[in-house]
Amino acid sequence: MRNQRIIPAVLILAGICIAQTPDGNALLKKIDENMIARNKIITSRMIIHGRRGSRTIESRSWIQGAEKSFTEYLAPAREKGTKMLKLEDQLWTYTPSADRSIRISGHMLRQSVMGSDLSYEDMMEDPKLENLYDAAVVGEDTCLGRSCWVMELQAKVVDVAYHSRKIWIDKTRYNVLKEERYAKSGKLLKTTVISETMQVEGRWFAKRAVFKDVLNQGKGTEFILESLELDADIPDYIFSKAALRK
Amino acid sequence: MLAFKLAVKNLAGAGLRTWLNAFVLSLAYVVIVWHSGLLEGWNRMARHDMIEWDIGGGEIWFEKYDPYDPFSYQDAHAPVPENWTREVQQGRMTPVLLTTASFYPEGRIQSVLIKGIDPAQSVLKLPADSMRTDEEIVPVMIGKRMADSNHLKKGDYITIRWRDRHGTFDAAEVKIAHIFKANVPTIDNGQIWMPIEQLRQWLKMPGEATYLVLGQNEKPASAEGWTYQGHDRLLAEMDKMIRQKSVGGMILYTLMLLLAMLAIFDTQVFSIFRRQKEIGTQMALGMTRTQVIGLFTIEGAMHGVLAAVMAAVYGIPLLSLQAVRGLKMPEGMDDYGVAVAEKIFPVYSAGLIAGTVVLVMLTTTIVSYWPSRKIAKMKPTDAIRGKLQ
Amino acid sequence: MIRFLIKGLFRDRHRSLFPVITVTVGVTITVVLHCWITGVMGDFIDFNARFTTGHVKVVTRAYAENLEQRPIDLALLDTKAIVDSLKEQWPGYDWVQRIGFGGILDAPDSLGETRAQGPAMGFGIDLLSPETDEIGRMGIRDGLASGKLPERPGDILISDQFAHHLGVGPGDRVTLLTSTMYGAMAMQNFTIAGTVNFGIELMDRGAMIADLSDMQATLDMQDAAGEILGIAKNHRYQETVLAQMSDAFNKQWTDPEDEFSAVMLPLYEQNNLKSLIEYTSGMIGLMIFVFVLAMCVVLWNAGLIGGLRRYGEIGVRLAIGENKGHLYRAMILESVAIGICGTIAGTAIGLGLSWLLQTYGINVGDVMKNATMMIPDTFRADITPPAYFIGFIPGLFATVVGTSLSGIGIYRRQTASLFKELEA
Repeated sequence: MRNQRIIPAVLILAGICIAQTPDGNALLKKIDENMIARNKIITSRMIIHGRRGSRTIESRSWIQGAEKSFTEYLAPAREKGTKMLKLEDQLWTYTPSADRSIRISGHMLRQSVMGSDLSYEDMMEDPKLENLYDAAVVGEDTCLGRSCWVMELQAKVVDVAYHSRKIWIDKTRYNVLKEERYAKSGKLLKTTVISETMQVEGRWFAKRAVFKDVLNQGKGTEFILESLELDADIPDYIFSKAALRK
Repeated sequence: MLAFKLAVKNLAGAGLRTWLNAFVLSLAYVVIVWHSGLLEGWNRMARHDMIEWDIGGGEIWFEKYDPYDPFSYQDAHAPVPENWTREVQQGRMTPVLLTTASFYPEGRIQSVLIKGIDPAQSVLKLPADSMRTDEEIVPVMIGKRMADSNHLKKGDYITIRWRDRHGTFDAAEVKIAHIFKANVPTIDNGQIWMPIEQLRQWLKMPGEATYLVLGQNEKPASAEGWTYQGHDRLLAEMDKMIRQKSVGGMILYTLMLLLAMLAIFDTQVFSIFRRQKEIGTQMALGMTRTQVIGLFTIEGAMHGVLAAVMAAVYGIPLLSLQAVRGLKMPEGMDDYGVAVAEKIFPVYSAGLIAGTVVLVMLTTTIVSYWPSRKIAKMKPTDAIRGKLQ
Repeated sequence: MIRFLIKGLFRDRHRSLFPVITVTVGVTITVVLHCWITGVMGDFIDFNARFTTGHVKVVTRAYAENLEQRPIDLALLDTKAIVDSLKEQWPGYDWVQRIGFGGILDAPDSLGETRAQGPAMGFGIDLLSPETDEIGRMGIRDGLASGKLPERPGDILISDQFAHHLGVGPGDRVTLLTSTMYGAMAMQNFTIAGTVNFGIELMDRGAMIADLSDMQATLDMQDAAGEILGIAKNHRYQETVLAQMSDAFNKQWTDPEDEFSAVMLPLYEQNNLKSLIEYTSGMIGLMIFVFVLAMCVVLWNAGLIGGLRRYGEIGVRLAIGENKGHLYRAMILESVAIGICGTIAGTAIGLGLSWLLQTYGINVGDVMKNATMMIPDTFRADITPPAYFIGFIPGLFATVVGTSLSGIGIYRRQTASLFKELEA
């Protein structure tokens, strides 16, 4: 545990010495700019590897900025029609079988989403890293054959799920290629490894990634981006509780 | 006095029969005393253990705390009121802070209740001082049942993940510094104990507690938002169970007594049948019917006295041995939520023994009296000739 | 000669009636006591079997390792085939599927918004199929506090306290929010048919009972169940039989390579019950031994008394020349007849009383508190096969011993002094 605290410190020191190292917070801003569009519509697949085999879940999400998102599950048949609405820090879920929308709060937020390695809380996080963390570039590395900056993120607000993160950023495309999320104690909790990227309207996004809850046994959850539409027209009613029932 | 002397003589004269009756009655004494003593021993032990290990002299709960509702734990914490600072410092009460967390035995995520307690506390018997180590890694202790069900042993490292008061994830590796063996399942199942200061730091709840355990006979001043829970409430479930057991025991005693009474009744009927001449003679010599009935009743009741002596002869060594050695109880009994020691030591109170003697004597007397009433209907003239009536 | 003796017994009330009554009463007490102790001590085994462990339980190997957590993600699949095979192989057992689950029960307001929520500890059991007896087995009927038993799919029962906490009652709709066996989120509406008092604090706080098929649908467990319980139809707990069953089943079904293959666990291998059962049977044995011993002494005494009672008669018989040995044998034969008659009568009465105690039981619960509870607070007797013959030990054996001991006196009597004795 002590080592884990020292290593980042050493890396930070090392980072200072490297010439032409960009400013961490400025870099973070660029990452957010790349990631967060005014509007986007995503179709994706999630492959969840469990102890008893794998399941694939397809969904379509409408996302507006960093605050609002609406997800509808498309497959498998059992999950079809299940919807989730996130408005700032509130999360509602709807299933056609019960025809009710229930707010997920407290205890339930800690549950995993559809049995994946992601929790509802992971979904609820403010995707704007800039709002949550102070960043410093601590080194360089190569991921997916691209040269990256390695950045160390330290929380600057108290109510954040992960106290620190380490991210690998493509030096020119500003997309994340690898991420590690740490507990306050420095213990590694979750990892994300991107295995394929794609370009949409000049921006780069992860096409395939694997999320993993490190403490848990298992092979992690694969995430595959099927399609991505940027700055699409999304009518406002989508982000309302009424839309859940439609 | 005459009646008493005669009774002794007659009983001695009956020889083996008297001894057999007395033996059966003595069994009733011993069984009743033993069984009640065992229950009482269990009751005291369970209360004693609960008080020593879990509830102390009572508890003070923060108002939002509801032990049966894990949802309540998230908000069930507040700074320990200032007017108790002195008591806490003097070790007259000790704060406990708790939170739900996840841990990963064998890579499988599992919920656990983390309880923080002061390693220096002396209010509870909980061996919290086993968590005072110089090692940098956080020491924790767990109960034996927890260790068994998760295949953990002393010295193992486990990862715990929790969230602080702001919801930030945190995780740490902790070392099992001690596995304690307590008879009280409520401090064991699904729980990990750790030093309270460390937990307060982890949760960012400095100086806070969920509940406080009081030392014996402590009655601290009340504080807003905190409610006192006395023994009557904290031990209610257990009292209920013990009460049920003792009602069940009553049936046993009743049957045992019935059996002994059958013997006495039989003997009395026989005596009266066989000794009609004697009865007739006594009446002829001027004894009133009541006196004769009294004589026979005392004779029957003397069995009770004899039995008490006999029970004392073999019962006292037997029961004392049990009281010293204890009765081994099986594992798993405490799955039913009530503390059960490995061994139960029966407690035979003076009240229990006196009560049993009174009970047996009373029933014996009644049963002796019952057939003797027949004497009242006898005609002395017929009786003296031994004529069957 | 036996007929002669029996005739004598019938005609001479003094020779027969009183001793027979004594033996009858003694045997009755012994039989009732045996049934009572067996019943009370056996109650908890039976309770466990019906409620949680079954006499045997079939689960996956992975589930068995975390038995206390009842992890549905490790549930058993293709349960119908397993149940069918079990039914065929062991028809003396009821085979029932159960699912334990957790979740949140959400009570809506008139607009469908969440009004109250609480954590639920759920049991999916077969409430509705025509041949099911789960309601009786779990004693749910006794615990019903309000409303009625589930009658149609979607009906559930929840604990009475929980209902108050959520502010709902019979007829209200609630939504269960939970995870399927694959971890996906599931939401399902249910109608509260009734509320139940369980009598266990933990369950009274938040238990919910739903129909098995409903839960299989909700939890994505078609043809799956957390556990299959085998409960002996005659309610007998027979350790050796259970051990044989488990061995046979595990040979056929368990695959050490596959953590999801089925494994059968006998009752005593679950929840530390083994030592508890050993202890209990030891206690039963001890109690019954003490009682039978006491009863023997009582009847021995009765035998002695019987011999003395007939002191005069024997004197006359000896005086008119009856052989001592013949007389002694006749008396023993008589006592055998008395013992048999008394034992049969006593066993019959004892079994009758035990049957009453078995059927109605004695309530030991708190009279003050709410009277209905699902957890049995009534102690009952249990008539087991030994109850049919245990009475013979004191009834026959002890009576005969008593008579033989008192009869020895015959040999000591002097013919010359007989008449003197008779005059007295």
